[in-house]
Amino acid sequence: MTIHAADAATAADAPKAAAGTIASPPPARRRRRHRTQGQWWIPWAFLMPALLLFLVFRYIPMVQAIQMSVENVRPYLGNEFVGAQNYQVILSDPAFRDATINTVILAVGQTVGCLLLGFLLALLLEGQTRKLSFIRSAAFLPVVVPMAVVAELWRIMYYPSADGFLNNIIGVVGLGPSEYINSPDSAMWSVMLMGIWRGGPYDMMIILAGLAGIDRGLYEAATVDGANRWQRIVHVTLPGLRPVFTILFILAAIRGFRVFTEVFLMTNGGPNGATEVVMTLLYKLGLEQGKLGVGSAGAVLLFLATLVLTLVVQLITRRKKDA
Amino acid sequence: MHTKMKAAAVLGVVTLALAGCTSAAPATGGGSGVKQDEEAVLEVWTRTTPGSASEAATIRQVEAFTEATGYKAEVTAIFDDFETKLAQRAGQKDLPDIVLNDVSQLGTMQTQGILREIDLKDVENSKDLSPQALEAGQAVDGKTYGIPYSAQANALYIRSDWLQKLGLKAPTNWDEMLEVATAFTQNDPDGNGQADTYGLAVPGSTKRGYASWYFSNFLWSAGGDFISGSGDEWLPSMSSDEAVEATTWFRDLQCKAGVIQPGAVSMDTPPTNETFESGVTGMYVTGPYMMPRFDKVLGADKYEVVPMPEGPKDDSVLAEGGTVYLMAGSENEKGQTAFADWYISPEAQKFGMEGTEAFAIQLPVNEKVDIAEVRDDARWQTFATAYKESGHYAPTIPSWTPVRQMSADTINALLADCSLDVEEELTKLDGKLTAELLTQGILKQ
Repeated sequence: MTIHAADAATAADAPKAAAGTIASPPPARRRRRHRTQGQWWIPWAFLMPALLLFLVFRYIPMVQAIQMSVENVRPYLGNEFVGAQNYQVILSDPAFRDATINTVILAVGQTVGCLLLGFLLALLLEGQTRKLSFIRSAAFLPVVVPMAVVAELWRIMYYPSADGFLNNIIGVVGLGPSEYINSPDSAMWSVMLMGIWRGGPYDMMIILAGLAGIDRGLYEAATVDGANRWQRIVHVTLPGLRPVFTILFILAAIRGFRVFTEVFLMTNGGPNGATEVVMTLLYKLGLEQGKLGVGSAGAVLLFLATLVLTLVVQLITRRKKDA
Repeated sequence: MHTKMKAAAVLGVVTLALAGCTSAAPATGGGSGVKQDEEAVLEVWTRTTPGSASEAATIRQVEAFTEATGYKAEVTAIFDDFETKLAQRAGQKDLPDIVLNDVSQLGTMQTQGILREIDLKDVENSKDLSPQALEAGQAVDGKTYGIPYSAQANALYIRSDWLQKLGLKAPTNWDEMLEVATAFTQNDPDGNGQADTYGLAVPGSTKRGYASWYFSNFLWSAGGDFISGSGDEWLPSMSSDEAVEATTWFRDLQCKAGVIQPGAVSMDTPPTNETFESGVTGMYVTGPYMMPRFDKVLGADKYEVVPMPEGPKDDSVLAEGGTVYLMAGSENEKGQTAFADWYISPEAQKFGMEGTEAFAIQLPVNEKVDIAEVRDDARWQTFATAYKESGHYAPTIPSWTPVRQMSADTINALLADCSLDVEEELTKLDGKLTAELLTQGILKQ
């Protein structure tokens, strides 16, 4: 509203000014335009603090990691160049292979689970009423609780004897008691379940935003054409949410690849390596066993994998858009 | 307006650039060619939680050092990622002067070249050091790189009220231990009518190699070992008969008798301590540092401390402790040496054992110090005897952590999955240990 008023005012003033100085535009204005256009470095100067921080805390360490990945790292004696040896070590390590498989399983499971849960929650909680916004906030709570707290809570809930919290619940319907994170058979899905519980509401929020952007008229038209609720979801809602799903998929995949905190806190990769993911393995190699070179090589591989995945998703979605 | 903004932007750039420069400025020196200054304040790093009682104990101890010798020193307590932070300082070639850390870190630190070799002639009190402690300060090359200042050994904590209720006695060998553990699990020792108690508390997580650390008590007393050898010639020995026997017995506690607390395989020490404190478990093998806490939470009248039950071979227990490390590149080497010398002197050892909350010194390493003189608590005598007669340090090799980590992975796997074959897993472990010893250049050819 105010913007329109301002525009109108300048528009009203403009003819007067123009009438007075047709031959030469006001010198002040020309100088200003010249300055903002000409001094190319001003935007860079404003960006510089952030860029410097990125440089010091992100890019330099990244380059160092790449450098360390081809070295035998000995902090005080000086590093030795060893070529591709670190890559050889980590790629031939069966533990790295197992960790990669586990990471992919966990990433896929959590991504799909979070999307499904998020979509379901979003459909249930879409709307304008005040009560819904309260429920939405309540559903969003797991996302804002720190991971360390979540992991500790779930560890208590997963207590593996019959009087454990979750075992009590599944005991009502005659199941269990399950060992959850304490058995190699169930540890992976237990960690996954916690991840979905925590990540689902985050996806819900973004899907809700996407839902708000879908034209209501499409639903009405579909209803008039005789589509039932399920058909409306499949043919109107899902296509309308495609860009949202793309973003969520990329975010979730990256998050899935570098999963660390929950695994580290709940199982530390155990039992029997059942939940060992790439990041916990790298932590053990690099920081606990002091093999920083080998750890860096693994980190570089992880980075490349994430990069490739992101590019592939981008390519696929771009092709779809073009088609 | 514009000039102002531009100025602000430029100022921002310059400030950050300067900040970047200062932090990136190379520190001087490294090696022994550093200019010496006896007035320089000694920077002392200790691996303990900042703000904890044990930090206070260390500060008290270091203040006493300053008072006694005149050298100034300042304590920094770091717990999380201690080794990583030390490596960062090493990268900057600006190490603290003194590091107080676990005995088992000696190999790692020595191979990184961040330790200064110690001439025992300069450390007068070292002649009174116990032979075990003296040996624990030596690296594979036989030279001394650390002065152990405090020792500890494990013993068995056991609920005396539970024993009394069930009419049992504290176990003295493995068979009795299994009996007591089974009774604690099945006979409702706390009398609440529910089957919610267990025999033995075990931190079986792989974190920091806890599973292996705990199991070493059983392995050594069965006559087994992780690796065997000496100097720079070692062979893996986890598939030896003794090791297989010990491992089978230990994992049967979980898989056959079911006397270990639920969830043990994902527990490190804090939740395991809680199971003992809260009456879920009735026995726990650990060091003397847990006594102040258990006295406070559980009550000193509820439990007793007895020597570790004897295994098939002997009653070896895990011995550990703190070591004074003199770091390379210090500008006050005289102060460093004085610090190490004072820390193991009889006065300092006695002073460090006083108090009730936490102690700078757990058990003395100086043979002239009699623990009974300082502490009238008989339980300390149990630990002192265990250390003296049965204490077993982890071997000093260039890097002990990978060995501990790998064996912890295997022990954890065996506890978690009862379908695994013990011998097969231990043979696999030996394969991994062989590769590790080869990497460290100490595999016996």
